[in-house]
Amino acid sequence: MYKIRNKSIALLLIMALLFIIPGCGQKGSAGSSEDVIKLGFLGAKTGPVANYGIPGEKGMKLAIEELNAKGGILGKKVEGIYEDNKGDSAEIASIATKYITRDKVVAMVGDPCTGLTKVAADIAQKNGVVIFSPGATGPGVVEIGDYVFRNTLLDVFAVPAVVDWMMKEKGWTNFAIITSLNNGYSTALTPVFKEAINKKGGKIVLEDSINDGETDFTAQVTKLKRSGADVLVFTGYYTEAALIMNEVKKQNFDITLVGGDGLYGQDLAKLGKDAVEEKVIFYCGFSSDQPSPETEAFLKKYREKYGEEPDMFSAQYYDAVMILAKAMEDAKSTDPKVFKNELAKLKDYLGVSGKTTFLPNREPVKSPVCLITVKDGKFKLLDKIEVNVQ
Amino acid sequence: MDAWFAQYVDAYYLRIMVLIGINIILALGLNLITGVTGQLSMGHAGFMSIGAYTAAILTLHYGTSFVLALLSGSLMAAFFGFIIGIPTLRLEGDYLAMVTIGFAEIIRVFFLNFELGGKAVGLYGMQQYTTFSMVFILVILVVVLNWQLLKSRYGRALYAIRENEIAAEACGVNTTGMKVAAFTMGSFLAGLAGGLYSHYMGYIAPQDFGFMRSIEILNMVVLGGMGSIPGVMLGAAVLTVLPEMLRIVADYRLLFYGALLVILMIFRPNGIMGDMRLYDLKQRLRTKEVKTCRS
Amino acid sequence: MFWEQLINGLTLGSTYALIALGYTMVYGIIQLINFAHGEIYMWGAFAGLFLVTVLGVNIFVALIGAMIFCTLLGMLMEKIAYRPLRGKSSRLSALISAIGVSIFLSTLMVLLRGPNTTRYPEVLRVKTFSLGAVEISSLQIIILLVAFLLMAALTFMVQKTKLGKAMRACSQDLDASYLMGINVNRIISFTFAIGSALAAAGGVMVGIYYNAVWPYMGTMAGLKAFSAAVLGGIGSIPGAMLGGIILGVLEILGVAYLSSSYKDAIAFAILILVLLVRPQGIMGQKKMKKV
Repeated sequence: MYKIRNKSIALLLIMALLFIIPGCGQKGSAGSSEDVIKLGFLGAKTGPVANYGIPGEKGMKLAIEELNAKGGILGKKVEGIYEDNKGDSAEIASIATKYITRDKVVAMVGDPCTGLTKVAADIAQKNGVVIFSPGATGPGVVEIGDYVFRNTLLDVFAVPAVVDWMMKEKGWTNFAIITSLNNGYSTALTPVFKEAINKKGGKIVLEDSINDGETDFTAQVTKLKRSGADVLVFTGYYTEAALIMNEVKKQNFDITLVGGDGLYGQDLAKLGKDAVEEKVIFYCGFSSDQPSPETEAFLKKYREKYGEEPDMFSAQYYDAVMILAKAMEDAKSTDPKVFKNELAKLKDYLGVSGKTTFLPNREPVKSPVCLITVKDGKFKLLDKIEVNVQ
Repeated sequence: MDAWFAQYVDAYYLRIMVLIGINIILALGLNLITGVTGQLSMGHAGFMSIGAYTAAILTLHYGTSFVLALLSGSLMAAFFGFIIGIPTLRLEGDYLAMVTIGFAEIIRVFFLNFELGGKAVGLYGMQQYTTFSMVFILVILVVVLNWQLLKSRYGRALYAIRENEIAAEACGVNTTGMKVAAFTMGSFLAGLAGGLYSHYMGYIAPQDFGFMRSIEILNMVVLGGMGSIPGVMLGAAVLTVLPEMLRIVADYRLLFYGALLVILMIFRPNGIMGDMRLYDLKQRLRTKEVKTCRS
Repeated sequence: MFWEQLINGLTLGSTYALIALGYTMVYGIIQLINFAHGEIYMWGAFAGLFLVTVLGVNIFVALIGAMIFCTLLGMLMEKIAYRPLRGKSSRLSALISAIGVSIFLSTLMVLLRGPNTTRYPEVLRVKTFSLGAVEISSLQIIILLVAFLLMAALTFMVQKTKLGKAMRACSQDLDASYLMGINVNRIISFTFAIGSALAAAGGVMVGIYYNAVWPYMGTMAGLKAFSAAVLGGIGSIPGAMLGGIILGVLEILGVAYLSSSYKDAIAFAILILVLLVRPQGIMGQKKMKKV
């Protein structure tokens, strides 16, 4: 008897599994794609890069809400679909396929990470759906095809300007570079920094590496202390940057950490507290200290809705949705085949995250570069550098 | 066939089915090592990554044909399985588990530093050579070969090693040789699955083949039923579909996944299909009525 | 720089050792790799965080509080997920159950606290002492001291008390111990309790030391600690301590003098080499194979 019961439980479980799959399949395909415009969100809501995805989702939701309040795009309602890709490449591939074939989205907004964007972009390109990344700053993204766009401050434009600033304004000439090995963003950014430093005549005195997710950086920081570097360039994300600075403080010496917009996460100040206070500088394309009226209005709405400060990702997701809406309006079509051409013509678009222009190869140019530091636990604009790209 | 198929099944389902197929090949490989021979390996993803990277690098950088790349990837994985197998299979049980974990980690770190493999960014842009029909045919091939192997003399020798190694040795089974052979074959299948995977996803990175991946494959084998071909196939299918289904419960899906593993193990400690072999299944179907009467 | 790096290594190693003890004790008795042990360590760290930030207690009270909490958590886990499996299933299904518990516990923490790293408050004033050219922080001294005290207490308990005697008996032969009138279930439960308490202590100290805790911290730490236990000879208590310290020191020295890019690979490669030369680990006992 006992045996039989066990087996029937197992059988029931399997049957249940097999029946639920088609069940959940039906849900997605309900509602025809004719009367609503669907946009798919790509980003992590859990996992190690959730700090980029969560504010991004908020920015995207705000933008869609605003569009619908104004009557939608071309008179159609806009609907966002928000799956969590956990920062995992297999997951994002699965979600992108689901968005395209099941939900019939016209465009996907995301992902904040370069590597993941490439995975989704490949799928989007093959299926003729627009993908718009509000975060991918590394190389090799728009090269995937003419359905792929992004509105970020590219590292190759920003880094030389930043290195120049460090050497001229601060007089730092001896650089230490730490890379996060298992972080694609970091391994792509390090060579950009190295090239810029070498070109401008700086000296790299220490090259070291860590891994994302580790907490023990004692050995690296002890090495750094003895290296005689004027400044530490760290190319990874905010969490590790804060932990490195904590260790620097514990080992009782003084150095500034400079990095890219991977450091742009509220957790930097929360984790680092006084260890990062005016000791971390990073560049990015958005600062809430920018006085432009568009930004002002966005800040107000965002604070009202969520009761917190927006960051670069919320602003860039917001802009991405708005730019997509503008392209569809201008093209008078919601067909990705048609409005992608309109999108590529974007010039001097004044968004909440600064001015964006797409070059003929669809690479974005954003100006100015904002240098941000942490003051009193908040991000403060330190300096602005104009970038000229021809 | 694929074009015909695509008319009736949407791409999302097709994708899940291909992934199920790849996972079946992976799990059957591990089944040979852990399920049948009883050698706990927790680094199967490492061998998978060798196959995936080898095949991807060959098609991307050297323009080799897919079939050749796939074969080279599998052979490369098998070669490493062989090399690792000879010294380590002298170790027992959990020491072996540790060495396999360690080896998979070393491979992962190697790929993180491997210029040709794109370091942490990984490789992308592989053509989607892997098609549903190809995976389907390969799965059938692998299953049939597995089945033939397991019911042969060698298969019974492998089972004997699991049940009692010393007794098997006493009966004249060359246990070390058989274990290394099983390990090599398992690695070959892992490499094959890896090659298929990389040319289906079009993107691979070292973190795709981390420790959790190995654990996932082990789960498929144990959950389905160690040593049982239909069981392992079912395990692979269930564990591929389950995360997709649990997407409805969004944030709670991993919570359910974890709890389900515990519950299943409590109620079905030997996996869903125990040690059931294809042959037994046929037998059972035939004698179904009699059995119901008896109980 | 060598001495400073050595101290860094010893501190890291002593936290590995505390976690490794739990693996080795449980393994010694029921031959189960308790995969959820890393998660217990993580929960211990968060329990300490909760006590310090929400209840505002002294850090040493928080340390003990976290240890008590994890003791209960460990026993509960054993009762729900492992005991029903004992005796009627293979070791592998117990292992899968442990993996299930591990996934469950880490996801639960993600749901409670979010996936991000949380700052551990600075509960102790950090002072740096200079001994000649070598600098050592007060934090490192405290961690080494606490770890040493806990390990000494454990050794005393296992060697000198009746309970410890029962534990040792169980690890030698479970069935025979049962026949000798030892309440085997209680001893197993107790083993989980002790191991979990030590892991919790490790968690709280890691939190203080690095000022950070996050829900996935248990996975890699657990893997490393398990390697440490195997390196020292799984089942052997002094072996786990030694293995942890060795692994920690090797890792730090590897970063300092070899290459930080291959840090994890170096640690695992040494582990594999040691196992090939000495398959039973450094302090493990060679077991006779019985038919």
